[in-house]
Amino acid sequence: MKKDIQYYSIIALLSVILVSCHGDWLDRNPKTIIMEEQVWNDPKQIVGLLANFYNRLPVFTGLEGNWRDMTMFDDAMWSGYSGEEWRNQMSSYGNNLGEIWDYGLVRDINLSLEGIDEYSTALNESEKNLYKAELRFIRAYYYFEMVRRMGGIPLITEQLVYDFSGDPTYLQHPRATEAAVYEFIANEMDEIKDQLGNEGSTTRANEFIALALKSRAMLYAASLAKYNNLMAVPVTTPGGEVGIPASKIEEYYRASLDASLEIINSGKYSLYRGNPHLGENYYEIFDKKTGNNEVIWVKDYKAPDKRHWFSYDNIARGLREDNLASSCVTPSLNLVESYPYLDGTAGTLKNRTSDNSDYIYYDDLSDIYANKDWRLYGTVLFSGASFKGLSAGIQAGVKVWNGTSYNTIEGEDIGTMYTDGGVLVGNSGPHRSMQEVSNTGFYLRKLIQSGAGTSTRGILSDNWWIHFRLAEIYLNAAEAMMELGLPDAVRYVNELRERAGHPANSLSDLNLDILMNERRIELAFEDHRYFDLKRWRKAHTVWNGDANNPNTMIYALYPYRVVGGPNDGKYVFDKMIAPRFRNPRYFQLANYYTFIPQHARDNNPKIVPNPFQ
Amino acid sequence: MKTKIFLTTYISAILLLLLFSCEKDNFSAPESMLSGKITYNDESIGVRSNALQLELWQHGYQNFTKIPVHIDQDGTFSAMLFDGNYKLVRMNGAPWENNTDSIDVVVKGNTVVDVPVVPYFTISNAAYSRNAKQITATFTVNRVSNQRELRAVRLFLGRTIITDNGYNIASAEKPASEVTLGTTVTLTVTIPDSHTEKFLYARIGVETEGIGQLLYSPSEKIQLD
Repeated sequence: MKKDIQYYSIIALLSVILVSCHGDWLDRNPKTIIMEEQVWNDPKQIVGLLANFYNRLPVFTGLEGNWRDMTMFDDAMWSGYSGEEWRNQMSSYGNNLGEIWDYGLVRDINLSLEGIDEYSTALNESEKNLYKAELRFIRAYYYFEMVRRMGGIPLITEQLVYDFSGDPTYLQHPRATEAAVYEFIANEMDEIKDQLGNEGSTTRANEFIALALKSRAMLYAASLAKYNNLMAVPVTTPGGEVGIPASKIEEYYRASLDASLEIINSGKYSLYRGNPHLGENYYEIFDKKTGNNEVIWVKDYKAPDKRHWFSYDNIARGLREDNLASSCVTPSLNLVESYPYLDGTAGTLKNRTSDNSDYIYYDDLSDIYANKDWRLYGTVLFSGASFKGLSAGIQAGVKVWNGTSYNTIEGEDIGTMYTDGGVLVGNSGPHRSMQEVSNTGFYLRKLIQSGAGTSTRGILSDNWWIHFRLAEIYLNAAEAMMELGLPDAVRYVNELRERAGHPANSLSDLNLDILMNERRIELAFEDHRYFDLKRWRKAHTVWNGDANNPNTMIYALYPYRVVGGPNDGKYVFDKMIAPRFRNPRYFQLANYYTFIPQHARDNNPKIVPNPFQ
Repeated sequence: MKTKIFLTTYISAILLLLLFSCEKDNFSAPESMLSGKITYNDESIGVRSNALQLELWQHGYQNFTKIPVHIDQDGTFSAMLFDGNYKLVRMNGAPWENNTDSIDVVVKGNTVVDVPVVPYFTISNAAYSRNAKQITATFTVNRVSNQRELRAVRLFLGRTIITDNGYNIASAEKPASEVTLGTTVTLTVTIPDSHTEKFLYARIGVETEGIGQLLYSPSEKIQLD
């Protein structure tokens, strides 16, 4: 009898278990994982994902992460923490300069594209098309960042799934040709530009942002096709992974020009002219977010959630609001002298008389920069200039007249007084050896935020990083027109120069040298010079590693106050190679294409190496 | 009492573990020196200092990345390694024919390996003479490989034995159109007034089309008084 009860209870228990199996008691959605169906039917989650992808797009320098690489070329040098002195001492560029190989991002985008197709039921067609177009824009922009650094790369447009057969060769894709990648980008932009909404947005892709990418990408492709083939021995690989045939030159310039003109003629954008002070006006393009109709696409920051440290690390030493850092990226005299005078003459600063017998004496520290292109003021904080209402305090020392010549006296520390009661070394230096004091005599103004406290660790900065702005599109259009031999290419360059204080129609003709310099000064510290010199195949001659070549060394300008003698109280300037700068910039032919990372070649034997790799 | 015993055991166990780990993850430094030079016909080839490298690869370990070996200005190189079998790879972009065949190197104690290459051009019979402020070099450029054309020949003056197209105080250049291969070439350069030392170094470089790196003759010291 007792046994019976046991049997019954076991049977009862078993049946309970069996019954529950029929229901969905065990079939529950996990609380810590979001399911595909949930994501792809919820616009908020999709936008959140898009924000993640936008944020993962690489920039070469930017305001976070790699901004230190602004000091790798000839526009600026490293004056910060002395542990990074290698930037001033490197004997050549590494073969991995600018390397990116993030197929994780590509895969995430491909997964999203397929996810929307497969799971999205609550979204209507136009919503789906918008999100898919936006994802394709992000993917195309990533491939653009890759191709301009690495050359042709595998174009993966769908997710790759391993079948566990033991043979992964079908997942190994070879590199597409360099031309094919640029054409892929242009075709994608053509296909998606009408599906992209986001009208008026500067952060999410819209029609004009897509056109701007096409304008730049096709300009790169066209100039690569032209200038690579003008080399005595072009940089190519046998399979075309590097090297675009010369037959494409005209087609690509035309495509770039068409995209540029579509943006310009749309009337949606205009050059920023919000401040009658021309120097401040140029500076405000990067600082002012309202009433700024020039920017096309930015990576935006917003306090308090998303901020960056750029101002903290790069503000002038004498103006820093925190007790640490400052002064890392300091512009070079090379850059300062590339800004022309407003009368059209070359921008060389006049510190000595024309026969080099004596100094030229200036009444004020800033007088030597008089009548320079106003973009200099907006980009560089030079001696005698002020920022945030305070004088930068740039003075290297004094020159004491001993009756026949000058004794140069410099201080051991910044912010010191000379025995006559006047300033010896200014609050911002320059100093020959101190870290976090400018070594060149210049500081950045551009990209440093103007708001109070933005250079402190507590507040930080939220000014934006500009990917595309109208001024670049003007220069792109001018370059394409010049290369195509069309008339009036110089018009767009003249408009930019007029905004910087030059008279109307200041240039009558355009050539590559003028254009190179205009791009250098208009787009300084915006990720252009390195890529521009690469696509024109100029980098290996401009930075040829010869210490006697003025372009390879970083020059400095040290201001001194004259004490005694006939010019007492006036200011003189010494030009010199920046004391902390040791080795000439040396860009070798191998640096035109960053080496393919070894792990990629190990995993995929179909990936051929770059030239010289 | 119980806690005390527990603690003591616990601490001694950790100490023991630490002692063991010390043995595990302290490797001795590599002790074998691999050295050699870049040669053609048993003569070493001069290059720019700190610009060219060879690659060493070692199979059989999970971390498979190259060991870069820099070539000095006189064509010599050296690296401290563990004993083992390596593959030595000559890189493209040097003033000699690109050859991707690797060279098997067995490192066992100090090892000397010469790396033979086929340069595009060679320099022979280099001689220097001084006439007041002028240095004149005479030399012959010989073609070795038909793969590439000559671009220019250059004469460099420098303050140290490391003299090349990056580090020099003066240089002169003759384009390929003015150079006849196999015959004597003359190049003259003026010593700059800024040079005050009592000696300098002179060196000839040959530039090949499409190759950034020059091939150099040995640096020669010239006394100025």
